[in-house]
Amino acid sequence: MSNKETIYNKRMKVADLLASDGNLLSILQRLDIRLGFGEATVADLCTRYGISAELFLIICNIYSFREYQPQVDSLGENDIKSITTYLRASHRYYTSICFPTIHNSIHLLVKELDEVSRKLIDKFYDDYDNEVSNHFRYEEDVVFPYIESLFVKGDMKKYSISQFEHNHSNIGEKLNDLKNIITKYLGEEYSNPLRFELLNDIYSVENDLRKHSLIENKLLIPLVEKLEKQYEQKG
Amino acid sequence: MSRKDKYRIALIEPSEIIAAGIASIIERHPDFVVEQTLNSPDYFNTGSDIDIIIINPCVIDYNDRFDVRTYFTGTNAAIVALTHNNLEENVLRQYNECIGTYDNASRIIQKLKNAIEENEQNPRSDINELSSRERDILAAVAKGLTNKEIADKFNISIYTVISHRRNISQKLGINSIPGLTVYAIMNKLVDMSDIG
Repeated sequence: MSNKETIYNKRMKVADLLASDGNLLSILQRLDIRLGFGEATVADLCTRYGISAELFLIICNIYSFREYQPQVDSLGENDIKSITTYLRASHRYYTSICFPTIHNSIHLLVKELDEVSRKLIDKFYDDYDNEVSNHFRYEEDVVFPYIESLFVKGDMKKYSISQFEHNHSNIGEKLNDLKNIITKYLGEEYSNPLRFELLNDIYSVENDLRKHSLIENKLLIPLVEKLEKQYEQKG
Repeated sequence: MSRKDKYRIALIEPSEIIAAGIASIIERHPDFVVEQTLNSPDYFNTGSDIDIIIINPCVIDYNDRFDVRTYFTGTNAAIVALTHNNLEENVLRQYNECIGTYDNASRIIQKLKNAIEENEQNPRSDINELSSRERDILAAVAKGLTNKEIADKFNISIYTVISHRRNISQKLGINSIPGLTVYAIMNKLVDMSDIG
């Protein structure tokens, strides 16, 4: 499945897009798009918010279709900035909405635990929180500025995008551990509704993080590599 | 019996002469087929659908001689020792059967059938639960010991430590050390005060 074969297009009403896949709501949320947009089409809304409609559709496709493979052929320098802007918005969405919700549920859940387990799970989560913040900060302070500087003269040699992939640690692993601990190893005596709510939140952020890395690995990195090559050839 | 209905065998024996001999004896019988012949358990493909593993205990690292199953997790195959000489009884106890190089063809086949039967009667119900060795190793991981320190402490090879750790994570669905630590403390494998 490539860009052209999907059902989404620029002339679609945004409301219809959401009706076809509710998961796309969170994309609008992190792009700070105000609701109440009436019959606006994808093209209308993207123009209004200064977003590349093509890129917006690629991101929607990544969220909606598991087998979708983004192509970078038709993208160029101008889209890089849009992608990093989107990724930054995504980081904000995780750190200001998703993780605080999870943290809050964990706090309520561990209230019921004995002190030892409480401290332990609290610490586990705090460490994870730090790890994720560091990861995001590294991308925002090192990786994205490098990528954006590719198009400013003279600042090319400090870093290469190939390093990014090595540093790109898997932040999903600990979430998965936490999920299994809560599902399998916290005894039946602990609050069920709270645990289901918490697990729902973890599954949804896990899924979102997977899409997020897909945007980084299948869209951003190949596009930057393509541009790096073009620069090398120009000498 | 079609090839699919036969009992499938992996043969792990460093001597080519003996491997070829055993294989030809076994394959004369319609119920058995030798699918893989290897000279080390490292090459064993756990994804394969093997019913019996025949292995010369000499190929197992000496420190791991009581832990042959850790080399073959992820399979429910019967494990049969193939010995050229006498071995400690304690070592042989973990195998479903033991074939000697002086056994004749009908005795070998009989032993393979016994092994299959015994293996089916004693399914390892603990296949998804941690063994006592795995619990000890998990406790050591939670205490912050390195693989090398764990190997020294339990007098096993690093290879076995790594393979235990892989099995532990697979069984629990927990991969990170902090996650394993949480599990170990919640299940009282270690005390909070032991954690560095």
